[in-house]
Amino acid sequence: MTAALTGPAAVRRDAGKPRLTRWVLRLHRPALYAWAGLVIAVAALLLALRGPLADAAAEGWRQYDACADTVGCAYDQDAILRYKDYYSYATAALNLLPLLVAGWAGAALVGRELESGTARLAWTQGTSPARWLAVRLAVPAIAVTAGATPLFLLHDLAWKAGRGRVDTAKEWYDRFTFFASGPTTVALALAALAAGTLAGLVLRRTLPALLAGLAVTALLRGAAEAALPHLWPAVTRVSTMDQGFVGSGLVVDQGMISRTGAHVPVPPCDSTAACEAAYAGLTGHWNTYHPYSHHWPLQLTAGALYLAVAGLLALGSFLALRRITGPARTARKDAA
Amino acid sequence: MSSDTALRAEAVGKRFGRRGGWALRDCSFRLPTGRVCAVVGPNGAGKSTLLALAAGLTAPTEGSVTVLGRTPAAARPRVGFVAQDKPLYPQLTIAETLRMGADLNPGHWDDGHAARVVAGGDLDPRARVRSLSGGQRTRVALALALGKRPELLLLDEPMADLDPLARHELMGTLMAQAAQYGTTIVMSSHVVAELEDSCDHLLLVGDGRIRLAGEIDELLAAHRRVTGAADSAGLGAHTVVESRVTGRQLSALIRPAGPLPGDWRASAPSLEELVLGHLRNPGAPGLHEGSAA
Repeated sequence: MTAALTGPAAVRRDAGKPRLTRWVLRLHRPALYAWAGLVIAVAALLLALRGPLADAAAEGWRQYDACADTVGCAYDQDAILRYKDYYSYATAALNLLPLLVAGWAGAALVGRELESGTARLAWTQGTSPARWLAVRLAVPAIAVTAGATPLFLLHDLAWKAGRGRVDTAKEWYDRFTFFASGPTTVALALAALAAGTLAGLVLRRTLPALLAGLAVTALLRGAAEAALPHLWPAVTRVSTMDQGFVGSGLVVDQGMISRTGAHVPVPPCDSTAACEAAYAGLTGHWNTYHPYSHHWPLQLTAGALYLAVAGLLALGSFLALRRITGPARTARKDAA
Repeated sequence: MSSDTALRAEAVGKRFGRRGGWALRDCSFRLPTGRVCAVVGPNGAGKSTLLALAAGLTAPTEGSVTVLGRTPAAARPRVGFVAQDKPLYPQLTIAETLRMGADLNPGHWDDGHAARVVAGGDLDPRARVRSLSGGQRTRVALALALGKRPELLLLDEPMADLDPLARHELMGTLMAQAAQYGTTIVMSSHVVAELEDSCDHLLLVGDGRIRLAGEIDELLAAHRRVTGAADSAGLGAHTVVESRVTGRQLSALIRPAGPLPGDWRASAPSLEELVLGHLRNPGAPGLHEGSAA
């Protein structure tokens, strides 16, 4: 301590809002840079898939389909395989993205701060713990949305570039493609952010929070896959015995039609004779499925559900924080 | 009442988990402003819990804590807190840590003061926190707590892991702070001797309860260390904190309720004797403000 006494004039009087955002960005600068790098790399890959890679693969398939017979057929097999491989890499990256966000949120964003005690350092500054949490949810949510939105749009474009041109292109309802090419991708990543945050606040340790964040996110993903066919009214098409099942897309249920018009399951049979006998009383097929036109309704419904889950998990995070620190503003007790 | 009371606890209890044990139970005390208060007690007595309650880091299970006349949450901008392990963000430099303090404490941050506390330790502001020694971290953590110009400064085991020189420096900084700005300082320790010279107020915590609370001078004056013949009667009228018979001689730490019999030799106990006497005898009645006759 020095003799240079400082009066109140030395105290900064720029009373304003605490600037928490810049410190979340500063503390997680490496993560932010890594995120930006990942987004740029995957975006570049998707752009390449959409343009040159899809074109080359389509040309390869055109050559192949033009061949009269497979023997001695000259076609660009490498281009076909390259499109297929890179498409699966990009799709995998987008599918893993929510897990990455959940693990980071659980471990680095919240769990580590509670384990090392820096959260207590932050909570004893001039800001409330609730605000600390709000900024820690909002800033990464913006970064995740800003990064993942262009990626799913580009993925959709990359997928469309192969549709109908590349014979081995994935269908829209392929589960990895579906969860990479719509708002569901972003919504699940946001739910993962909230799940990791909640895990960090409940477990208060880095590694358990990381694992719990991953587990909850995997569970959310699994639940959506199971529920997906039922998230939008499906279309049922009826066809004759000769036509077989009509309509292609995400199948909800299929079966056959009896003479009375009842929908019955396909009877099991394992030989031509047995099948002919089993099918004797049946008049046609029915197929309940989602055509491609349901892609966006399904995406939006699943996305909305994930956003609702994200909201609940975020609410749970604030409640968990309240359980640790007590109410932010208790009514003043009568301390007479 | 609020203007002259820095910290007040009323029947405060804190239990961790629904079926966990009580870390604190039935704690009531009042700490006037401007004091330098030692919170003393063995490890696990509830000192850290008490400080965390005052800092608004955790909520009491029962009772109420009032800090500077408000709830701990509402008092947050006016309270500085340094946790036992001095948590800081390791990836920040010292200068960044202080800038963060300025950004998170708008309207009541004193740049110059924080910088002087750091400079007093001969630290390079560009050094990263992760490269600092224990004593240097303590100094930076303290600079962060003092930069917000707290009216109440809560320090949990500030001396732990400091070498004697660093302890001396730290106490110097704290005493200057208290003298210059009238800051109320509450610091915990399990070593009484560390705090004896600097503190004027004592909170003795044992087994989650407040055993002694008050001005150290008054607490010492309320107790006598007495010796006399073991077979002579006469201590029954007084509050006996601790007594021991050696041969035919009895020595005791008592709180006299009136004049002592003439055949007893009496002397003033040291703070350490007082603290140990109460800690060794959890059944002895405690002495708080208000309970003192």
